Order: sequence, then C-alpha cells, then structure tokens
Amino acid sequence: MNEMSKNENLDIQIYNFAYLDENTKRMIRRALLKALCIPGYQVPFSSREMPMPYGWGTGGIQVTSACLIPKDVLKVIDQGADDTTNAVSIRKFFQKTANVAVTEKTSDASLIQTRHRIPETKLKEKQILVYQVPIPEPLRFLEPREVETRKMHALSEYGLMYVKLYEDIAKHGHIETAYAYPVKTNGNYVTDPSPIPKFDNPKMNNSPAIQLFGAGREQRIYAIPPYTNVKSLDFEDYPFEAMKANFKCSICGSSNSYLDEIIVSDDGKRSYICSDTDYCKEQTKLNSKKEDQL
Amino acid sequence: MNQDFLFKASNISKYYGQNIGCKNVSLDINPGEVLGIVGESGSGKSTLLNCIHGNLEVDEGDIFLNDKSKTILNFTKISEPKLRLIQRSDLAFVHQNPRDGLRMNISAGGNIGERLMAIGHRNYGEIREIAANWLEKVEIDVSRIDDKPSTFSGGMQQRLQIARNLVTRPRLIFMDEPTGGLDVSVQAKILDLLRNLVRELGIAAVIVTHDLAVVRLLADRIIVMQNGNVIEAGLCDQVLDDPQHKYSQLLVSSVLQV
Repeated sequence: MNEMSKNENLDIQIYNFAYLDENTKRMIRRALLKALCIPGYQVPFSSREMPMPYGWGTGGIQVTSACLIPKDVLKVIDQGADDTTNAVSIRKFFQKTANVAVTEKTSDASLIQTRHRIPETKLKEKQILVYQVPIPEPLRFLEPREVETRKMHALSEYGLMYVKLYEDIAKHGHIETAYAYPVKTNGNYVTDPSPIPKFDNPKMNNSPAIQLFGAGREQRIYAIPPYTNVKSLDFEDYPFEAMKANFKCSICGSSNSYLDEIIVSDDGKRSYICSDTDYCKEQTKLNSKKEDQL
Repeated sequence: MNQDFLFKASNISKYYGQNIGCKNVSLDINPGEVLGIVGESGSGKSTLLNCIHGNLEVDEGDIFLNDKSKTILNFTKISEPKLRLIQRSDLAFVHQNPRDGLRMNISAGGNIGERLMAIGHRNYGEIREIAANWLEKVEIDVSRIDDKPSTFSGGMQQRLQIARNLVTRPRLIFMDEPTGGLDVSVQAKILDLLRNLVRELGIAAVIVTHDLAVVRLLADRIIVMQNGNVIEAGLCDQVLDDPQHKYSQLLVSSVLQV
C-alpha cells in the first residue's frame, strides 16, 4: 500500500501537469483558439506520441491535457458509459498525471472527454466537451485526395457530400447513415461530428457548452463554439431524422435516451439499456423516489 | 470586340519547361458551334484543350468566356472559386477514358446528380427524375439507374459520362477523344447521339480527335495542329477537301479508305 502510493507520487513528479509539457500544451491551445474562431475548420497541429495506441483517443487526450486546470472536475465516457475500458484508463491517466477530481455525474463535470456519444443530460455553459475523433475529414471516403478535400472545404463545394446521401436513399429508401452523420457548422464548413449516433446530432446545435474535437493520428483539431448553429445535412423531401431503437431501457424505463442492444441469452433474446450509464442511474434514482412518495 | 462570341482564346502559349505545349494559339467559338482540333499524338491538342478549359494555367495569352449574363470573363484573371463554378455550370469536360470522368463506385443516378447537387439542388425526387430523363436521352435503360458504372460496357460508360456533363445544360462542352477507346459501331452510336444532343440543345463544343471522320461528322470548323502550333484553320469541309498545308495534306491522305 505504502509502496504504491509512493510510486504514484513519484509519477506526478516525473510528469508535467496533465502529462504533456507546457510548450506542447501551448501549441495545442493555439490550435484550439484558431479552431474556435473558425467553427468547423480543421486546424492542423503537431500531434504527439501518447502512451497509448492510436485509436484509443490520443487526439482527445491531448486536447483534454491542454485544457485541464487543477480545479477541473473530469468525466470520461466511452460510448456513453463511464465504466468501459477506454473511459476507465483515460480517467486513471489524468488522475495520475494531473491529480484532478473525477466524477461520473454529467452535471458536476467541468470537462467531459467522450468517445462516440454526447451525454443525455443537457450540457451547460462553462462545460467543455472533448470528442475523440478517428477521421476528421467528412469527405475522406468520397474524395481520397487531401489537397482536393481542403480545396473543397475552402470553396464550399459540398455537392459530393450530398451524393453520399443520395446513394443512401437510392439503395435503402432512406438516409442509412446512422453515425458520423455530416453536419454544417455555422452555415459554412461541413464537419464530421465524430462517430456519434445521429440521435445525438441535434444536441450539438446551439449547445451552451464548448465542443472540441481532437484527432491524434490525423493531426487535426476542430471546434464548435457555444451557441453555434449546427445543421445536419439532408434533402428537402428526405429531412434529417434523429433516430434510436424504439424500445424502453430495461433498467430505468426511459424511452427517450439512446439505447444499446444486448443479447442476453444463447437463443438470441435481446434487451435494451441506456448507453449513457450516468443518465440511467439518475433515472433509476428518480423512479425510486417517486415510488417512495407513493 | 465582337460581343456575340461565346468563347475566345487569344495568343495562348503553354510551355513545359523548354518544351512547347502549344504556342500562340487563337480561336473563337460562336454559340452552338462545333470546333474540331485535329493533329497527331503530341501535337498539343490535349494541352490546348486543358488550357482553354482552365485546368492548366497558360503562360501567355488570354481566355474569354461570354457567360450567361453576357459578362465577359477572363479565365486568366478570375479567382479560382469563380473559375471552378464556371467549370461546373457553363462548361463541361468529357474525358477519353470514362473512368476519369465518372465516379465508378457511385450509381449512375448519383453520377448524373452530382453536378446538380453541386450547383445547389437539394430535392431527392427532382434530382432522380432529371437523372432518369437523362439516362433515357443517352439511351441507357432507366432500370439501370441504381447500378454502378463499373457494371456498364465501355460505350454505356461513355454515354453516361456525356449525360453527367450535359445535365446542368452547359453552353460549351470540351471533349478529349470522346470515341477513343471504343469499337467502330459503338463509336457511330455515340457520334450520332452527340450530334443530336449538340444540335438539339444548341451547345457549342470543342472536340479533340485524331479521327478525321469524327470531325467531318460533327465539326463546323477545324484547326489542325502540329508541334504545338496551329498550321491550318478553316471550315471543316474546306480544310478536309482542299488542305493547303503539307502536313494537313498528309493527314487527309493517310485516312484509310475501305
């Protein structure tokens, strides 16, 4: 026990606050400021090697690291859950290197790092939401040339983005894209919201919180400042629809939160539960309170 | 300057280092007119075409387009966004190889719709209807609208490329050997189609080819190029029936007679 805590103290001394050195954090903050000034524009930054593999949220971690201050309260979620591997390891990482307070409660957090979800609880001013982004370029699979996609952004040539939606409708009868659904930020840049389900897209619009996006491997940072218009792309006759599985959470009974499908038996029985564990807990508490009152 | 012209290039030159791409070329195109550019491989035909389409920057000279609102635009002076907008709306470019001009992993309907969506169409039903109409016009079965071009034959791909380009009703279409890699009967079909579309819609065209039969069939006027220079220009029948320059004479006499 003593041995361990000594080691942990040692770690804090060896690493600079929040792992990255001050110059790197400064470089990232500059990129973040630029990104906030030009909503949706992908700012290149010189991404660092992090002590975990690409795809584990190295972009998000660097952004979080650059934003953290000692009095922050950090929440980390992975697909909405606080207790999955990615979330636990990133949370531990910052506890160790920055010694910040952590929480699972969305409303208590001042900085939330997320992988692929936006919390169900409405975010508020002075909160920062940091997204982990695998592929920041929404046009990547449509136009492979980076030089060309940058030009397309610069000249707002987004016809091709609609070709993807057209193909969806032609093939499936509706817009099949269910995650990483492209949005237009502030009426200007088409932006990849990272692979959040399209159910979460409306939450990005006019959000009081600051939304920051970090892509470590691709070395890009972009941002959506508070109260910015974020519109999901669609056709006049096929409007955007935020959709979710049409069931209730089998734990808290909520019918308006995003659900995970779980196979619960060998013969394929399914159950649906909230993907946002914090929201699910809150709802369960509320329910039991109501029952007590009765 | 005559205000009725559609397109004008004056004294344009393009160099590749020490080598000449094309030198001192001038040409005029009137609305609805078809101009043929002929010459052997390496004579600068494609360079010229790419220069006047705005794909290649010219080293000397000016290129003017009389746009839909009767404003004369100089390609060498306007901004890149404006040029790209014009390339999408007023101009069109048909490549020799349909693979260069089509998106092979996107359905025929999507290929035709792309230019529409690029200029702001946002109604799926409308886009699809227009795409179906165009498939009909280029004689592709409408039931193939959701098939990818990779499942089409060479001739169908080329017809699809033509439809994709004409859908926004450009006023000038550039074609680089549009019948290049096709067999003779398919060539004839495409030429027939092109002739009808160009006449029916009143589109002006510039066709680069080394096939004199193609220009005889389609073009009103031709220019003959050799080593980057224009060596002869005139009405199509006049140049082909009575060539003056010795290279033109060689070109005309080397056509095989069946």
